[in-house]
Amino acid sequence: MTKESKRRAARKGGPSPIFIWLRRSLARTIAVVAAVVVAVFFLIRLVPGDAAKMILGEYATDSDIQAMRTRLGLDFPPRDQFLRFLLQVLTSGDTGKSLVYGVSARELIFRRAPLTLLLVGLAAVLAIVAALFLALLAATHKDGPLDHMIRVLPAISLSMPVFWIGLLLILVFSVKLRIFPVGGVKEGLGGLLHGLALPAITVALSQVPSLVRSLRVQILEVLDSDFVVTLRAAGLPSRRILFRHVLRSSAIPAVMLLGVNLAYLMGGTMVIEQVFGLKGIGTLLFAAISNRDLPLIQGIALYCALAVVLVGLLTDVGAGLLDPRTRAKP
Amino acid sequence: MTYMKENYRRPEWAFLSASMVLIGVGLLLVVAACTKQPVGESTSTGGSFVYGRPASVTSLDLHKQITSNNAFAIDKIFEPLIAFDSKGVLVDWLSESHAVSPNGLTYTFVLRKGLKFSNGTPVKAQDAVFSLERHLKLGGPLAIKAKVASVTAQDERTLVIVLDTPYTPFITELSNFSNGILPKDFGGVSEEEFFKKPVGTGPFTVKAWDPAGDLTFAKNVKYWQAGKPHLDTLVYKLIQDDSQAINQLKTGEVQGIESVALENAAELAKGGTAKVLTNGSWITEQLFFNTLDKYFSDVHVRRALALSIDRAGLTKAVTFGYAEVARALLPPAIPYHANATVKALDFDLDKAKAELAQSKFPKGFSSKLLIASGSGTRAQEAQIIQAAAKTIGIDLAIEVVELAAFRQRFFAYDFSAMINSGQADSPEANSILAFQTDPQGFSKSYWTHYTNDKVTSLLYAGQGTPDGEKRASIYAELQQILADEVPYVPLYYPSILKAVRSSVEGLVVLPNNSLLFQDVVIKGK
Repeated sequence: MTKESKRRAARKGGPSPIFIWLRRSLARTIAVVAAVVVAVFFLIRLVPGDAAKMILGEYATDSDIQAMRTRLGLDFPPRDQFLRFLLQVLTSGDTGKSLVYGVSARELIFRRAPLTLLLVGLAAVLAIVAALFLALLAATHKDGPLDHMIRVLPAISLSMPVFWIGLLLILVFSVKLRIFPVGGVKEGLGGLLHGLALPAITVALSQVPSLVRSLRVQILEVLDSDFVVTLRAAGLPSRRILFRHVLRSSAIPAVMLLGVNLAYLMGGTMVIEQVFGLKGIGTLLFAAISNRDLPLIQGIALYCALAVVLVGLLTDVGAGLLDPRTRAKP
Repeated sequence: MTYMKENYRRPEWAFLSASMVLIGVGLLLVVAACTKQPVGESTSTGGSFVYGRPASVTSLDLHKQITSNNAFAIDKIFEPLIAFDSKGVLVDWLSESHAVSPNGLTYTFVLRKGLKFSNGTPVKAQDAVFSLERHLKLGGPLAIKAKVASVTAQDERTLVIVLDTPYTPFITELSNFSNGILPKDFGGVSEEEFFKKPVGTGPFTVKAWDPAGDLTFAKNVKYWQAGKPHLDTLVYKLIQDDSQAINQLKTGEVQGIESVALENAAELAKGGTAKVLTNGSWITEQLFFNTLDKYFSDVHVRRALALSIDRAGLTKAVTFGYAEVARALLPPAIPYHANATVKALDFDLDKAKAELAQSKFPKGFSSKLLIASGSGTRAQEAQIIQAAAKTIGIDLAIEVVELAAFRQRFFAYDFSAMINSGQADSPEANSILAFQTDPQGFSKSYWTHYTNDKVTSLLYAGQGTPDGEKRASIYAELQQILADEVPYVPLYYPSILKAVRSSVEGLVVLPNNSLLFQDVVIKGK
């Protein structure tokens, strides 16, 4: 279908190009979610040997192992197991009862999710603010020493593992200066923010370098664009141009870029929770893995993947609506 | 374009930069002011003790648990009739006294006067009957191994247990946390409800509990030891990361940590803000041989390898002084240990070569040494053993696999040699010996499949012989045979390590790795 024929179809009352694009984006997302569900189901089969035996350890008797196999549904043929799993996920949004904690995996995940989401949110805000500031600074000092410094320094921080940066910050700000707690959060909003400040800064630091690089280029493009030249020619003060127009034009791509990077952001958050002793989804995942708590591992993998896919979809849709050029070709 | 860029470098940038810096500093100050950091500990007795642990408490059902994360919480709530002290010596605990009949079949316990559960109800012999019968019925991972004929309450304070056949380890096995006393019929609530908020005779009760997070205990005001515990609350704080736990100890966010790696102990002890408490453990680190293996089924090969290992050097190199060199299977904290008396195959390269010359493989051979990943200490041990084996012509390749695969491999006897450890559940020789020498038992001589009829008969004889010289001679002979035939080479007995703030006093470290908190006080600065 050519562009002209699409327009004609739209005029005749057929679905509009935006609707077709949205429908296709949604279909792609559903396909990814389906693939995620299948992958999560087969996680249990990646465990070497008998999963029930691995979960129970060396002191398990044969009857214990058999009981665990029954509990995990491993007695059924693979096809039936998959159908049962699918039914459970679709009807209750759950992957089963945690083998260690004895409660629904979904309940455990939902209990821990707010802290992780808050940490991701704080880190995202910090990353955007810092990246915008640095990118503006670099772009407006293009090829100057400041520009070079801003381009090099984040690259150095990018080469350092995020957990190492976290440990370094703990040693300086918690152990030496005693400004922030070493780990965990205390009660109340103050305690919460106090405990999340260093982890959020750590996660943000891991995101800033890539954001700065992309944003710098975008800001340079905006600064070179005709409308900025026109505004300048119209006599608008450069401060106004910078904050009202350039910053606004650059903030949207920054958020979009962060949306694309969400998977990295979440991955970084998981590790950082462990380093800072935060009781969020990350530490729950580490504990689940070391306990071989398969239903819980499956649940966390499923919900994290869903979150990434959904944010990706929202980012795509948002970007597509705001800037039609970003819409993927059908 | 240069003109444009130059324009943007003017005062607005100073304004923007200053704003950002001010916002940043302001945020830091606001956040820092929100919560004050601890600058010192409580200044008197009472208060709270926060104890960092690497795993959460997931269940408090004493009859269904074995792992330390749960066991060392259960033993704060429930207590047995008999317990062991910091030296592993048995003492009457909830029982005022106990007696064993001369034929070793009847055990009579008299409960202490005025004993009460944490909810205020008196403890009766009927409660002990209910508790032990539930354990016998359920079995569980720490099942009572004695053949129990009956458990009866003679009166409100007297409990009588009759066995079918004499079983000397019984009295010691009763000291396990799994033989704690709970109220008859769960005090009138459902089983599920009871274990969510359990009632026992221990020094603490459950105040708040997240099975995937922290557990807060409150002082049991009805505790039978008058005036104890001194603490108002005890918090088991989940800290999964080792360095996080150490840093929280340094800053006073926790008063003690459960897991201290050998390599961190010296650094913690030096700092001044913390101290390291130690005790002898019930653990023996060992090099195990698969006696079904082509090479290691040959006793001369096993003996040659044992003679080639400098155990003292290995212990010094990997344990930083927090271990004792092992020459016999039983750790010194277990009765009937023979570390000083056994004639072990001590390091002697000439003898090692001569021993290998007597084997079916006098020119040496190549084999594999299996270890689980994740332990730097085990990796170092493997390298030392590999180097030792090479000196006599045995080429050992180190195979490192993930813990789950490691377990899978040795359950299936799919290994030639491996490094692992054996641990007793109670201060009783039989606890380790049965696990490591009975080829018909559940663990198949710790999956070495070592089979020696003489050893098996000595094992069973030891179980039925009353404590005393005869039992001592049985275990001495058994350990000597093990030292001669080396189905496993004992390497060292690691110490138990706990780190606490310097201000903590009265903490008792038990040889099973648990702690007694009832005497703990936190001194003010």
